[in-house]
Amino acid sequence: MKFPYCQHRHSRPDPDAPALEIQGLGVSYSSEGKFALKDFDISVPVGAALALVGPNGAGKSTLFKAICGLLPARCGTIRIFGHSLGACHHRVVFLPQRSEIDWQFPISVLDFVTMGRYVYLGWFMPPVVKDMAIARHALKEMNILDLAHRQISKLSGGQQQRVLIARAMTQNADLLLLDEPLNAVDVATRQTVGEVLKKIKAQGKTVIVATHYYDQEEGRYDQAIYLKDGRQISDSNEQEDSGHKGCGHP
Amino acid sequence: MWAPMMHYLTDPFHYMFIQRAVVSAVMIGVLCAALGTFIVLRRMAVVGHALTHSALPGLVIAYLMGGSLFAGALIATVVTAFGIGFLARDENVYEDTLVGMVPNIMFAFGILLISTSKSFRDLFSMLFGNILGITDGDLHLIILITVVSLIALFLFYKELKLFSVDPNYAKTIGMPVAVMRYGLLLFLSLTVVVGIQAVGTVLTNALLVVPVAAARLLTDRLGRMMALSCFFAVLSAVGGVYASYYFGTASGASIVMFCALIFAIAWGYKFVQNLWVRRMP
Repeated sequence: MKFPYCQHRHSRPDPDAPALEIQGLGVSYSSEGKFALKDFDISVPVGAALALVGPNGAGKSTLFKAICGLLPARCGTIRIFGHSLGACHHRVVFLPQRSEIDWQFPISVLDFVTMGRYVYLGWFMPPVVKDMAIARHALKEMNILDLAHRQISKLSGGQQQRVLIARAMTQNADLLLLDEPLNAVDVATRQTVGEVLKKIKAQGKTVIVATHYYDQEEGRYDQAIYLKDGRQISDSNEQEDSGHKGCGHP
Repeated sequence: MWAPMMHYLTDPFHYMFIQRAVVSAVMIGVLCAALGTFIVLRRMAVVGHALTHSALPGLVIAYLMGGSLFAGALIATVVTAFGIGFLARDENVYEDTLVGMVPNIMFAFGILLISTSKSFRDLFSMLFGNILGITDGDLHLIILITVVSLIALFLFYKELKLFSVDPNYAKTIGMPVAVMRYGLLLFLSLTVVVGIQAVGTVLTNALLVVPVAAARLLTDRLGRMMALSCFFAVLSAVGGVYASYYFGTASGASIVMFCALIFAIAWGYKFVQNLWVRRMP
């Protein structure tokens, strides 16, 4: 299979490889600046649900951005389903924080969610009925099908979050990187997102969630990774010792 | 009543230069508004402003050397666009600083070149445009650039939409966002060069931005916004040609004033509509 936008060829995933394997990763926002993430190692098996826990500035978003190719790794390696970065774009989806989207852009919710299909369409090919149906299904899963024709600027914070998750579902990726999906959302959205994450995990997909609410959601994850000041630490106690509020405190 | 009005509208068409001006106005209006939609939505209006001012030294050098003004303007704007993109790669040089700095330097350089020449004849049309003075050659070039740019916009519509609303997501699915940004700058340069023919280096940015801003007030859908912007830009451009013909006003300034009038009407309509909605129980 060839990726429409980058012309990379995708080999079948290595059946013995983990969904994500990172060794000695170092990332910074400038070529010679301070590391925002340093000496990071992890191996996430296929189908696992992993919580990434740490205070603001710990390096959670930086890690996600490095995994999906938005930030270059200054050192170390990242392998996704046994392949190097960029070799499986459609298998990875990154759900950014809501503030990173231009919500004033004049398009409808359905248009926005359908963008999750672009990775399969490539240049010059418009979305077809099948793509719209997939997008509608994702909206239905997130309980926001009635908002399909609403302009994206007219959504509440919780609705924006559901729309972002619907787009991620539309891409039908195997590795989902969700950056604080439950931050500042209403109770109904939190419940819906929780149910959808369960369904996604039941489908054998791998989910990594950056969260401030780990103590409330602990049962949802197979493992938690703690980050502080761009470094991996052993557990949450280390964060609390240093005065950081960290996990469990929104 | 209708007959004299029709005469007012059709009489100018007896002249070839008016026919050329109106066709150019329609083409330039459609091109500026269609591309301007993405320029405005990507918050690149200030880059458009920068490029319009940067065209001046290219125009003056081409004029002094007896070369093609179009080629001169195009080279100057493309060099500026790509130069800003290249220099902004240095983390210590902010892009907005460059966008504020480079055009002023280029504009000053253009004025300096003009002041060294003995002739100031064409300075006015370079700065403020002269759509009534468009030649057959200019017209063919305007049509060619407009058609090519519109085809490109149509082909890459989907990608430009995603690139504008969520560039990070575009990058994660493998879209070459840096190439797309440079591509957009290239088409912006071409549009600016075409727009200069109508409204000059100083006012071209208004044709890129004002019709889009007016359309944005009236709709929240991208397709409708582009269509409305094109309609407003064509209306302004053709209105400017008529005003220039009948009242002898500067064509570029007339076109921009029509744009401003449409924006004011759209703003007024929106204001009254909001008041009405607030008063509803």
